[in-house]
Amino acid sequence: MPSVIKTDTYTKLFGDLRAVDSVSLSVEKGSLFGLLGQNGSGKTTMIKMLTGQMKPSSGSAQVLDIDPSNDPVPVREAVGIIPEQETPPSFLTAEEYLAFVGKIRHIEGIEEKSDWWFDYLDFGDKRDVLCKDLSRGTRQKLMFAQAFLHTPALALIDEPLINLDPVMQRKVKQFLAEYVQSGNTIFLSTHILEIAEEICTDFAILHKGKLLHTGTVRELTENNIHLDDFFMDLVERGNENV
Amino acid sequence: MIFSWTLLKEETRMFDLFTTMFKEEWRLHSTLFGSLNFALFPVLIFGIAFMGAFLLPFIRSVMDLSVLVFLMHGNFALLGIMVGSFGLMGKEIMNRRFGQASLIAYSARSLPVSEKRLFLNFVVKDIVYYFILWVLPFCMGFILAAPLMGMSLYYPLLTLLTLTLSFLTGLCAVFLLSAGYSRSKTAFAVVCAIAAASAALFVFGFNGGATALFPPLAVFYSFSAESLAISVGVILILFTLSMVFFTSEYQSSEKHYKNRHPMLSQRLALLPEHDLVAKDFIDLYRSGIGIGQTLFSFLLPLGLIWLILSLMGGFLPPENLLLIFAVVTGVISSTMYTWLTEFDAIASYMFLPLSVSSVIKAKIESFTVLQAVPVIFLTGVALYSGTAAYIPHALVVSLCISFFALSVLVRLCGLSPTTLIYNARIFLTYMLLIGPLILVLIILTFTSPLFAFAGILLVIPSWYFIQSGFEKWDNTDFAGF
Repeated sequence: MPSVIKTDTYTKLFGDLRAVDSVSLSVEKGSLFGLLGQNGSGKTTMIKMLTGQMKPSSGSAQVLDIDPSNDPVPVREAVGIIPEQETPPSFLTAEEYLAFVGKIRHIEGIEEKSDWWFDYLDFGDKRDVLCKDLSRGTRQKLMFAQAFLHTPALALIDEPLINLDPVMQRKVKQFLAEYVQSGNTIFLSTHILEIAEEICTDFAILHKGKLLHTGTVRELTENNIHLDDFFMDLVERGNENV
Repeated sequence: MIFSWTLLKEETRMFDLFTTMFKEEWRLHSTLFGSLNFALFPVLIFGIAFMGAFLLPFIRSVMDLSVLVFLMHGNFALLGIMVGSFGLMGKEIMNRRFGQASLIAYSARSLPVSEKRLFLNFVVKDIVYYFILWVLPFCMGFILAAPLMGMSLYYPLLTLLTLTLSFLTGLCAVFLLSAGYSRSKTAFAVVCAIAAASAALFVFGFNGGATALFPPLAVFYSFSAESLAISVGVILILFTLSMVFFTSEYQSSEKHYKNRHPMLSQRLALLPEHDLVAKDFIDLYRSGIGIGQTLFSFLLPLGLIWLILSLMGGFLPPENLLLIFAVVTGVISSTMYTWLTEFDAIASYMFLPLSVSSVIKAKIESFTVLQAVPVIFLTGVALYSGTAAYIPHALVVSLCISFFALSVLVRLCGLSPTTLIYNARIFLTYMLLIGPLILVLIILTFTSPLFAFAGILLVIPSWYFIQSGFEKWDNTDFAGF
């Protein structure tokens, strides 16, 4: 399988802090790749660099064969992104926001596509409410919809389930599983290991900016190892080595 | 005894609240600009005033001193208005800029303190904080320069008093207006109309003059216990009324709106970034910032400035007054850029296929559309004052200054002008680029009104600042969002 994301000694420094430290990884097309780590491990920084929102201090990356630090706008044109914080514009309604994203992304038939998402994520009754007045869960749904409006070949999503109720979480997980089955790729950042174990095909563990492990969930399952135990063991050893 | 202990405990709690709010304000600013950069801000203000004091004899030779006195007091009243407005919109601004953040002032629901008590602490904190940040360093510059210039300390000390009163008048006025607005928008509009009509009647009908319209000026020109009592009394009345009417808006109403974006975007199709411009105008309209800022940050200060400038008709020819006013209008119009950047953090755009420069371009296009307001306003003033022949001069100089100041803001502050301008280095650069230029243009138009057209030369540096601003901000990491 070809790689849709490839990084080579990718590094980001904030002063003395090595937020991402020489990370080299590869994400195959058609995978649901989980980037796992504790809070502050560098997951969000990694997504920001891969989507051209932040430049790396050193190292290189290719995302869908585009260098995000040189061509940030083309990368964001090609991929879908759900940021860590749900930040739709305050004074547009949910419907206007999707129309706005549709215009920016030059999406045809935006009304029908928006209707589908309002229906699928069950928030059509909030379509004419200002984004600032929406609950966090509804904002999360809106951010989810905007990331997939243009059916990107690759979506980079940061903690997409955190504000959703159990029913909606199940629906979203089902959507993500089907999305990769149709040949697309998802790069999911999360610290909720149960979700990662349930839906991810591949994963990487980031700890204090360093990549501790990459592998498939199947390898763990075949050896009767829970991702949760594997993660804890690795992080403890990682702490000892630091 | 129990009563006094309770009272003491209450006072301690109030003081704790005050110091915590004070620290919060400091940390907000020092996080944004770096502790050293922000700590240097009062030093910078002091330096400007200290050096400016030595220029007074030169300024006096080309400009009536009453104009300078008025501009200083007007600026400090405006500063009070700005500080008050930012504080009252703090929660909204913090949330837009930092995500789910808030200020202690908005925590009445989670702290066992009444909202009025929180508001009282908030007002006192604002007064002390901004007095130390702005008013005191500015006046200390004059006070320390006075002995070196062989001047008596009377006027510098009086300036400290009257500029403090001006700042407090602006601050308390905006608190009252805001408190009134949150109670009843209709009552608020009626009160504003009555206040404006009374002020105009007082100035023109009873020959009250500028000093009567603005009590701190009366204290400056004829200091007496009576004038001081009136000025302090006005502040106390404004403050007390704002406390009486204050209510925090906790009920978030879920209003429903029609989908306006596609239609508006189509109407603005001539503009290259029309989708983003349409969003800006929806934001301006729905947030109330468009109307609120036009009223409080544009029409109100400019109306007041015009009223007072027109009282100087005896000293200056009307075309000179119009051109001074056009220059001031240009500077104030440039702040419309800050209206457009208050809605969302840059994070709202960065996950879309947009560069920072294209967002700034859209803001500049929106800004250009908004310049219709000063154009109409200036034209109206020129027609009213019988200087219609100088409308082209006034419009050219005003718009050129407005766009030049905008370009400087774009280069220095990108999409965060309201916060980055408090960075000492940025503020100094801004002042050095704008201040001398304004003085030169005013002086030149005094020699001949035709010099107003010299403003066209500003197109070149404006273009440079905007282009280099695009490059700068496209290559800047927004690590903090």
